[in-house]
Amino acid sequence: MKPYVILPLAGVIAAAIGFAVLAQSASDNSPVGELIFLGEPVTAADLEAGKQIYAESCASCHGADLEGQPDWKRRLDNGRMPAPPHDETGHTWHHSDRNLFIVTKGGVGAVVPGYESDMPAFEGILTDDEIADVLTYIKSTWPDRQREFQAEVSANDKGEL
Amino acid sequence: MMKTIEMITEPNRRTVLAGMLGLGTIAVVPRFALAASDGETGAMAFDGDTVLVGGRTLRASADGGASWARREVPGQVLALATHRNRPGLVVAGLSTGGVAISGDGGATWRNGKAGLPAGGVTAIAIGSRDPDLIYAAIRGDGLYKSEDAGDTWALAMDRPWLDEAERDPLTLVSVDLETGMGGIWIYAGTELGLTRVPDCFCRWQDVQSGNAMDALVSGDVQPPENPLPEGRPVLSLASSPSVPDRLYAALPSGIWTSADGGVVWRQAAQEAASAIAVHPDDETYIAAIIGGEVKLSHDGGATWTATAAG
Repeated sequence: MKPYVILPLAGVIAAAIGFAVLAQSASDNSPVGELIFLGEPVTAADLEAGKQIYAESCASCHGADLEGQPDWKRRLDNGRMPAPPHDETGHTWHHSDRNLFIVTKGGVGAVVPGYESDMPAFEGILTDDEIADVLTYIKSTWPDRQREFQAEVSANDKGEL
Repeated sequence: MMKTIEMITEPNRRTVLAGMLGLGTIAVVPRFALAASDGETGAMAFDGDTVLVGGRTLRASADGGASWARREVPGQVLALATHRNRPGLVVAGLSTGGVAISGDGGATWRNGKAGLPAGGVTAIAIGSRDPDLIYAAIRGDGLYKSEDAGDTWALAMDRPWLDEAERDPLTLVSVDLETGMGGIWIYAGTELGLTRVPDCFCRWQDVQSGNAMDALVSGDVQPPENPLPEGRPVLSLASSPSVPDRLYAALPSGIWTSADGGVVWRQAAQEAASAIAVHPDDETYIAAIIGGEVKLSHDGGATWTATAAG
């Protein structure tokens, strides 16, 4: 094949690949429905990252399906409470985005001084973006009723981070 | 017609522990010592203008304590709760287990125990915003919740953890103050003091001012506090439905009152108190058992008048 044929064809292929990448990128970074976290739109890439982080950092205690530890309303022998579910059967959806972020980053003691919990503070383990992603993923699993309730709680939370 | 409350005989998962802790509680909580030796005891509530005193019977006074009517109850009453928006509703926690529910001020009763374990009901509260929402603390077990006016019950949460052990709520009250989590607070008095839990039941926690979390996050100076005497039993709590910030507490050291949801307390009476209730529409009208007598105050606890014997 002559060079004057090959070069334009390569250009067309490169452009096609470029458009495909751009299209994929646009898709991953487009807002997902009405889901927001701390007032910011959520993208498919955020959700996928959050799902992965949840599996790696949260699922061992809170359950692969967000179901929490067995008998989670009863104390452990050490007096601490088991990891609660993050699905609609738990209480996570009662807390604002800000509250969830603070608890995840700083531990429960960051909102209830002196409270002893087996859950660590994730500051230094996860970045702020990663914490936001994992909480966004958890929110994305809730049914409409819980998501709407939590959106209202978040909207009414005027505190600062 | 009065219905008989059936005894609950099935053992719960903590029967042995409950027995041990129950003996321990009897040994350390003055409320029970008072019952044996010091005159008037019982639980109190207002049903509209009527003052109720629950014990082996239910006594009711509709004339400010001048006279009392005595009504039968299906068992020894350890706790009473009423609701501002549902006159006649009286819920009684029984020492034999289960709750008794009346819709006519205590003239007749039905039982409510489906889903409740065995064990005395040490404390009862009705949701401030929903008279069908009832909470019951079961001795040696946990806090249970009914969303259908007491017909069925389910565990809401284990008991509060204070000083390295679970503690029975001796009194519960639904306080109509926002938690910031889409709900309101439930306060509990225990043998070792005051605690509270949001009605989403995420965690028992100390009472702190509403902006304490923000202060914690920002590093600002925490707002002032004057808690109830540390480590002392809180035998009875009342929250004014008309002014929810206004709380009253009965302790062996007397009557205490708070005007800010329980952050700052001051002592309003110095004689041992075991029960307290506040009028649904008048936050300064309170009834209490003080020094073994039923007394009333119309000025928020500044002065007290003993009532006629019931």
